[in-house]
Amino acid sequence: MRTKGWGLKAAALGAILYLHVPIVFVFLYAFTTEEASFRFPPPGLTTRWFAVAWANADIRAALGLSLRVAFVSMIVALILGTLTAGAVWRTKFFGRETLSLFIILPIALPGIITGIALRSAINLVDLPFSFWTIVIGHATFCVAVAYNNVIARLRRTSPSLIEASMDLGARGWQTFRHVLLPQMSSALVTGGMLAFALSFDEIIVTTFTAGNQQTLPIWIFSSLVRPRNRPVTNVVALVVVVLTFVPIALAQRFSRRAEEAT
Amino acid sequence: MTTPEKPTIQRIATALYRRPRLRLALLLGVPLLWMVGVYGGSIASLLVQSFFKLDSFSGTVDRSLTLDTWRDLFTGANMSVAARTIGMAASVTIASVVIAFPLAYYMARYASRRTKAVLVMAVLVPLWSSYLVRVYSWKLILSADGIVSWFFGRLGLSGLLDAILGLPGIGGPSLSVSFLGQFLVFVYIWLPYMVLPIQAALERVPRSFLEASADLGARPATTFRKVAWPLAIPGVAAGSIFTFSLTLGDYIIPTVIGDSSPFIGLAIYSYQGVAGNLPLAAAFAFVPIAVMGLYLVGAKRLGAFEAL
Amino acid sequence: MRRMVSLLAALALVLAACGSGDEAVAGGPLQEIGEGEGAVVIVAWAGYIENGETDSAYDWVTQFEADTGCAVEVKTAGTSDEMVALMTGSDEFDLVTASGDASLRLIAGGTVQEVNTDLIPSWSTVDDRLQSAPWHTVDGKHYGTPYQWGANVLAYNTDVFGNSPPASWSVIFEPTDLPDGATNEGRVQAYDGPIYVADAAVYLKSLRPELGIGDPYQLNEDQYQAALGVLRTQRTLVGRYWHDAFIQIDDFTNEGVAASASWPFQVNILQADGAPIASTIPAEGATGWADTTMMHANAPHPNCAYKWLDWSLNPKVQGDLAAWFGSVPSVPAACEGNDLLGAEGCTTNGFENFDRISFWKTPTEDCNGTAAAGACVPYYRWVTDYLAVIGGR
Repeated sequence: MRTKGWGLKAAALGAILYLHVPIVFVFLYAFTTEEASFRFPPPGLTTRWFAVAWANADIRAALGLSLRVAFVSMIVALILGTLTAGAVWRTKFFGRETLSLFIILPIALPGIITGIALRSAINLVDLPFSFWTIVIGHATFCVAVAYNNVIARLRRTSPSLIEASMDLGARGWQTFRHVLLPQMSSALVTGGMLAFALSFDEIIVTTFTAGNQQTLPIWIFSSLVRPRNRPVTNVVALVVVVLTFVPIALAQRFSRRAEEAT
Repeated sequence: MTTPEKPTIQRIATALYRRPRLRLALLLGVPLLWMVGVYGGSIASLLVQSFFKLDSFSGTVDRSLTLDTWRDLFTGANMSVAARTIGMAASVTIASVVIAFPLAYYMARYASRRTKAVLVMAVLVPLWSSYLVRVYSWKLILSADGIVSWFFGRLGLSGLLDAILGLPGIGGPSLSVSFLGQFLVFVYIWLPYMVLPIQAALERVPRSFLEASADLGARPATTFRKVAWPLAIPGVAAGSIFTFSLTLGDYIIPTVIGDSSPFIGLAIYSYQGVAGNLPLAAAFAFVPIAVMGLYLVGAKRLGAFEAL
Repeated sequence: MRRMVSLLAALALVLAACGSGDEAVAGGPLQEIGEGEGAVVIVAWAGYIENGETDSAYDWVTQFEADTGCAVEVKTAGTSDEMVALMTGSDEFDLVTASGDASLRLIAGGTVQEVNTDLIPSWSTVDDRLQSAPWHTVDGKHYGTPYQWGANVLAYNTDVFGNSPPASWSVIFEPTDLPDGATNEGRVQAYDGPIYVADAAVYLKSLRPELGIGDPYQLNEDQYQAALGVLRTQRTLVGRYWHDAFIQIDDFTNEGVAASASWPFQVNILQADGAPIASTIPAEGATGWADTTMMHANAPHPNCAYKWLDWSLNPKVQGDLAAWFGSVPSVPAACEGNDLLGAEGCTTNGFENFDRISFWKTPTEDCNGTAAAGACVPYYRWVTDYLAVIGGR
């Protein structure tokens, strides 16, 4: 058992390294003195790209837009996902299987399909491309993660809990607030975080559903092909990771606590 | 339990609890409209577009129904694009399972609570650091004068690297221009999507199952084969939906890494954006839709939908 | 099944009805420039509209904004086709810096409008060779103002070629040994846009005169097949086709690329970095681009758009941009007295090469109106076939 454990440990460590060594290089090149093309090892190190990034109004605008899109998409996805999960849970109805398929579909089909389909539909109804068309695209594929987390949680919630609450005299609303909602909160946090992350870093669907709005990935995509902006993209990637580290860690911790409490 | 609530809310809630049909309609109305109406409708309109065709004279779309576009789809060139993409998606999926499983198994089975929290973070963090920046970083890692060849050179292993690049089919002038390099990047980018569902599936296996197996004298390999693996299958299937579908549609990695051979995503993107041939792009879009359709049917049988 | 078909047919009719209102025709060009609308939205190549954010020395936006009160918004596009898609797909853009392979498509599709050159005082300063160029002038009407132009050059590594530049495009089209003794296999690159078929045609034009290739964008079936043949041979030599300028810069730095079809833009950046790269236009001549700033038929800010059209011809703007992008100004006056460009800048960027360049334009079935329909291979076939060539078919 012990030797087997070591083999497993090594394999797990290998996978973690595979995921993280490239990120180390992403971070390293946020400090390179090169402006256009990168070489290894970098000829020198500097922190000036952080100042450049800080002073760049485009980045702030793009970051702001991405945060707003991700937030609204997350909320819409959580609402739609929770409603659907609530309906599918404990109720059998015609087309139930088809509905759950439709929920999964946008995330199971490649982003380019969702993008191109929505784009041609948006064109057909003559809707101008805007913040809201981006949100429509993102929320559509985020519903799946919200739905999956909530339904998984509900499936583990014993129906007798609700019956007990009702038997003890709680009204429907009270049961929802004091029994169901706490049960679902960890699922909502996990699903919401995942939906937010998916939306925040999404480029393919956005390419098709945005007009001239620049989300952060779109800014990065255009900046990767501009001299002097390239190291700045590394800075942005680094800063985003550092900034998101704390909220993800907190959310993880919260959902783990909630999980253990039940 | 005596928190004062607004009586109207109470009444509505109770009414809803008693009338399941009404409750269902209220719950489902908006999601149905959005997912089936907007999303399903968009896919349907895409299907309709594939029965139009591009007028070769004006370069505009001729909106009369025809099967010509579908005939154009089934050319050797397009089919080889599809075959190449599906082959890549399958190999990426298999490799992801092989790499993700030990990590997920370790997280679910051996890691202390603290270690597990750290590992979950470690798997989640790459999802937050820009996909684009990470893809581009691989160019430098894999290029002829890049990081991998630098380290191989330092270790005196350049000969080994050349031998790998000399392999027919997967090699090339440098790692970043080879099938192998492209494969490494695809696996790298989609790996977290495989680790998390497998880990979640394994978490649901009570430890006692595995312990019982060991107590009954099964060797670790047997425990894995007979107990852990079958129970992890829904998670594997769920993760594979992501790795397979994401590889199937990606058009950014093939333009940055590899020998420029077109993939389905790239072909759809060029037909739509470059050629302005939306009907052909729409028809081509139904290749991944059909493939994923079949895949989903299989995955559902394996219980993937419960493990997503 | 029949129900399905009739359902689809009904849907199609609805779609057709929706689509017919697309092309709103403006009532002729503006006759008078009024008050600015406070903004102008431009679809442009990356690096074409600089506001000093990338490098404070290169800024031709801030002054314009201060002078006119029109805030400049830029949407960058990576390819001509992306530009066409953006312009046709939306009414929110005013201007586009379209290359010749996009401009005629935009004119034919009614996406851009005729401009009234009387409202553009700087029009008279435009290079004579460009004033009525066929890629923006149709039936004597001008559909925009020339912005910049340049050649698709052959970039080569001076460590490989020494100081004698390759004399022919054959170094990237045919299997051959390079001056450093090694083969060119896996060490050359080509552009991954379908318009690159024309580069093969330019090469064939002098290699096989019996094909009778005239205009490389007007190829009959035989000439076209011969060009595809050249490209298939090239596929066996090319490690990777380049799609965006930056990836190619990386490849020159890190992949040991010996020679490639390229833009002066990449060569400038590489040289500034000290890389051993130079460029040349081989004996066969070259393809090139000439960009026109064109105005959307439904431009939401026409007054600001006209102000930008005039500003874009300002010699200082033209010269700075030429220095930044490695291109040639469309206003000859810009070549003199520009610090960023230097005294020899225009010559270096190819001012004298105009006649050796076949400028990008969209291939059409009727050979750009010079022959019967079906005489030439149209662009959408270039797209599918070039994709197939890159896929190894």
